[in-house]
Amino acid sequence: MAILNLKNREIECKIVYYGPGRSGKTTNLEHIFKAFQKHVKGEMVSIDTEGDRTLFFDFLPFGVGKIKGCDVRVQLYTVPGQVQYSSTRKLVLKGVDGLVFVADSLEVRRKKNMISLKDLQQNLKDYGTNIFEVPLVLQFNKRDLAEQGIPLMSTEDMERDLNRQLKAPIFSASAVSGDGVGQTLTECLKLTLQSLQRQFNWAE
Amino acid sequence: MNHRIVLAGNLEFLSLGDILQLLGSNGSTGILRIRSKYMEEPGLIYIVDGDPANASSGSLTGLEALHSLFGWIEGEFEFSKDSVREEPVIKKSRMEIILDGLRMLDDGEVEKMGPVSVAKSPDSTGKDDGLPFIKGPLVDYSYVVDEESFSDGDKITQEGKHGEWVWVVLEGVIEVVKETPKGPLAILRLGAGAFIGSVASSLTGGKARSASVLALGDVQVGVLDSQRLFTEYSSVSEESREIILGLDKRLKEVTERAIATYTKQNSIEDLIKDRTPFIKQGENDERILIITQGEASIVRNTDYGDILLANLKEGDFVGRVPFLNIGHEPHSASVLASEDFEAKELDRDHLLEQHERLSATVRNIIEHLAICVSVTTNITCDFRKSFANEKSDQS
Repeated sequence: MAILNLKNREIECKIVYYGPGRSGKTTNLEHIFKAFQKHVKGEMVSIDTEGDRTLFFDFLPFGVGKIKGCDVRVQLYTVPGQVQYSSTRKLVLKGVDGLVFVADSLEVRRKKNMISLKDLQQNLKDYGTNIFEVPLVLQFNKRDLAEQGIPLMSTEDMERDLNRQLKAPIFSASAVSGDGVGQTLTECLKLTLQSLQRQFNWAE
Repeated sequence: MNHRIVLAGNLEFLSLGDILQLLGSNGSTGILRIRSKYMEEPGLIYIVDGDPANASSGSLTGLEALHSLFGWIEGEFEFSKDSVREEPVIKKSRMEIILDGLRMLDDGEVEKMGPVSVAKSPDSTGKDDGLPFIKGPLVDYSYVVDEESFSDGDKITQEGKHGEWVWVVLEGVIEVVKETPKGPLAILRLGAGAFIGSVASSLTGGKARSASVLALGDVQVGVLDSQRLFTEYSSVSEESREIILGLDKRLKEVTERAIATYTKQNSIEDLIKDRTPFIKQGENDERILIITQGEASIVRNTDYGDILLANLKEGDFVGRVPFLNIGHEPHSASVLASEDFEAKELDRDHLLEQHERLSATVRNIIEHLAICVSVTTNITCDFRKSFANEKSDQS
């Protein structure tokens, strides 16, 4: 649920990076923060949560135009997956406008991906959002590790595991080097803004 | 000063994190006040152009105070537009404060200001035998007229002796012990914020203590101002007083039944032979009544049989207490009435309104009673369950 701020003529929306611990959510955001400095507004907030960090910063996307004459400001978040962080998760996921699910390509993390996606569905449901309706992009991260001989799942297998019902756009990525990070975000922004356009048109 | 309240509501609907975000994206300037029934003083957050500049909560100020306010998950808030001349003590960004505050709440670094909690016995006592452990909310020291210290093993109250004090545990852990034909039985443990002694004894003056209370390790307790409790209690309507006394009696009954179940003397067949259901377990019955004639039994139906939880008579209440959950009728127990049973229904709204008038301390005492009723009931059921298992082991 984006916030329309009439005073600043700004629409504030929320994109959240979700995924199992160490799948590369924070690496994605760190890369965006560095590579798109001009579009970042303010500092990056980094909170040490057990097993994972929680990141947040404001992002002003480029070339997306205006919605109803308003600029768009995107809040980018990662959310801690651990069960205990329910208050943080609730604040971050409540009213989320777009999601990136960062899946870990390592074979040994197969189960973790599936559990995390199920958690996401349940958490969204608790806060009144349907995973099939919210703009969602999947990212298969750590594809570069294949070169080092580490066993990865094929993208086909991952797709079967995670995307059989969701039918979300998929991007392969290597967040460490930044490959695929921009594409993932751009696609998620596109879907999110389209969805907002629809919402605001309906509201008229 | 001009207090213009421009936004107000309930924290359970809009959390502190949500409110700060909202005020932040509006770039508002003013004072956010938060009230919790577990705290005497409201928490204050001074906001300049959408960013928190300073805060106070009890004796804390600045960021520390602001973080602690994330633990106030129940309560009311109001934001008044006002010019704030506070020096900006807090320099951290809004989102960092919010995300950090919530993390501290989830990590247990910030204390949750909620109702009485039931938890596992603390490890510090050296014995975790699964006894229920009840803690209370923050103690309002203005009600404490005297403090007393006890050492490990000291008896704070002796079952059967007369006494009229109500104590609140300030520090340490105490154990509630009942005499039974099979020897003394520890029923539960109480920690900081929990109350010792019944409302009834302090109000009707010197009744026999229904249980002994022992100190586990060093314990600091506060004696509550019984004059003040009495005055407050006298200020509510007779019906409200009947409910409060009824809760007290209910706890005594439930405890007696727990002991009877423990000594396998809680036979129910003869007792409820001639009784008819007045409220059925699981029914969505919102009524609250006072028995005017006859008797009633509170019975819980479980997988291992019907368990008698309490016997009630004229003057006791039955039904759903509007401001509490005692874990009995109508959801988790039935009311079986004698043939001559009669009861008059009370006005729920009136009781609620009277309850709201009481101070946080008196409401905490009442809530503590309700938790004890609910916990003791579960103990009774556990006794019954273990007997059922014993029997099936033997056969």
